[in-house]
Amino acid sequence: MTVKWLMHFQPNQGTTLTSQVMAEACAVAESFPGVSRDGRWRSAMTFYRAVPRDQSLPAPSDLPRDLIGISLHDLPNEYLFVMRSQRLILRAHSSVQTVMDKLQSYKGRFFINFEGLQYKWGDFKLRIGKCLYNPNEALRGIVMEVEYLPLSSMDKSQRVMEEFYEIWREAVASKLLAGQFINTEVNFVEYGLGDSYTPQHTAVLYGMCVVQVIASSNKNQ
Amino acid sequence: MEPQQQAGSGDAPPKQVAQAMDRLGRAARLIAEIRLGADRILEALLVSNENPRLSEKAAELTLGEEDAMRRHFLDLRTVGKQLEDSGVLSGALRSRGNSWGLHMPLVCPDGAVVAYAWKRQLAGQAGASAVDRARLALKAFSDQKRRFFPQLEDDQLNRSNNDTIKFPPTKRPRLLHRPTQSPNIDSTEQKPMLADILKSIQTEAPGVTISTYQRLEWSKRAESLALDQPKEQILSNLSGSFNEVAVIELVASGVFRVLVSLHPAGSTDPDAVAFFSPNEGGSYLHSRGMSVHHVFKHVTEYADKALQYFQSSDPNKALSHLLSWICSHQSLFTKNCSKCCKLLAMDKSLALLLPPVHRPYLLNSKDHDQDFATAYHIGCSSYDV
Repeated sequence: MTVKWLMHFQPNQGTTLTSQVMAEACAVAESFPGVSRDGRWRSAMTFYRAVPRDQSLPAPSDLPRDLIGISLHDLPNEYLFVMRSQRLILRAHSSVQTVMDKLQSYKGRFFINFEGLQYKWGDFKLRIGKCLYNPNEALRGIVMEVEYLPLSSMDKSQRVMEEFYEIWREAVASKLLAGQFINTEVNFVEYGLGDSYTPQHTAVLYGMCVVQVIASSNKNQ
Repeated sequence: MEPQQQAGSGDAPPKQVAQAMDRLGRAARLIAEIRLGADRILEALLVSNENPRLSEKAAELTLGEEDAMRRHFLDLRTVGKQLEDSGVLSGALRSRGNSWGLHMPLVCPDGAVVAYAWKRQLAGQAGASAVDRARLALKAFSDQKRRFFPQLEDDQLNRSNNDTIKFPPTKRPRLLHRPTQSPNIDSTEQKPMLADILKSIQTEAPGVTISTYQRLEWSKRAESLALDQPKEQILSNLSGSFNEVAVIELVASGVFRVLVSLHPAGSTDPDAVAFFSPNEGGSYLHSRGMSVHHVFKHVTEYADKALQYFQSSDPNKALSHLLSWICSHQSLFTKNCSKCCKLLAMDKSLALLLPPVHRPYLLNSKDHDQDFATAYHIGCSSYDV
């Protein structure tokens, strides 16, 4: 799998996030020469909460109370689970979602959809998307995924991605967007993930990013 | 005007293109007629000014010309409308699905008419690399000639060659003083063995894993790479006997996979080189193939030039120089450009963000401290390098 970085948009203090920002971010991407639009993308995240079988007994402490399930746009046949407290990731077939529904041991509490536009720029792929809270389609945040196609090693691609991030930040600042993009920093070693990039890395990135997005949107509201 | 055959959408693209070219030709002729008409009117005015007796005749002429001009303008307007409708002036039909790969002729902003819009770009690009390759071929041929046919050495030819070909100054004395060799006599310089070359490269660049394959073995491995990328780098797979080695594979974990082919098999003469991403696999992975990624495409193109240079300037050691040069690319994604000190740079003409893909390959006269340490972006490297 090729290396990806994930960033979210942090609006300036006191400003609210609107879909205008999404359009502006896309305009920044399109302003680079050689960028071509490559369609749309969509990922979905579900926050599960444990449903205790027997209400009177306390929940066993080793079972996670919260679970995040992610369906990624580039892996339609798979479904990934992230347990942030235990630092575990599970990769399963997408039909596990029906299993979850039937088991009812965990219930989906709320849902977040990511959807937006995809761009190809030489060896880079950019995906800019809105982070929508499912029931009422409220805009919670804007994320951007950057993929560098030639490399799969996190270590070797570090410098390239850093420089790209700088270039992107400068472009966003020069177009005077009301905020900036912050990169999601994750310690992959804690999750037992190695240098070679995998979908598990993406799942962890999204899990971490969404937490930050929700935190910043709560702060601004 | 004769009745126009409208090129409907039912017409085949070649007919539409032909009609568009035809109309462009007609438009050009009409414009020429208009210019001539304007000239004639001006002349008539001048004549009538200088020679009042001829003013009546001049007035008649002017009126006649005016009529003709008006007709020409109307015709031009019609032709222009037709051209506009068929998309010639706007290039609108470039992306038509069923246009058989043909495009409407395009009138460029500077007035040139291009039958096919892409031809112009292709001609420019082809021109540049043809010059490069011709120059390198001339260098290679003249060196070979000097080496194998010293009796044919022509002083005049030599002098003129040295003037036109750009050689680094330190190189010239060495070539002229090299002992003349013919293929039949044992060369005084011992040609290094393949095994020795590979061993010395492995000690020089421990981060690169080197493996050798016979031709068929490599095809099989290339296919297997498409199906399943090996998780950890396999230990170096050096053949037992080096007599039939045709492909050398150099892998720098996470950075590149380079293929060098030898011709004839088992010799130490490299004949092609190609760079790929370590996550690529498939039958297109061979020394004359091309990576799907832009960065590796550009490094491969540059590597071709380096190989030709090594072959022409030091044929005995071409393989070791080439392998050393390849190994210096381990820092492809980490080493900043030696000119602008950045890693990624926007290449304006290619509209791509690339790391420095040009590593100078010129050899110094004392070749044991060659480290190929500098790197440049395409836009930052000077033309000679």
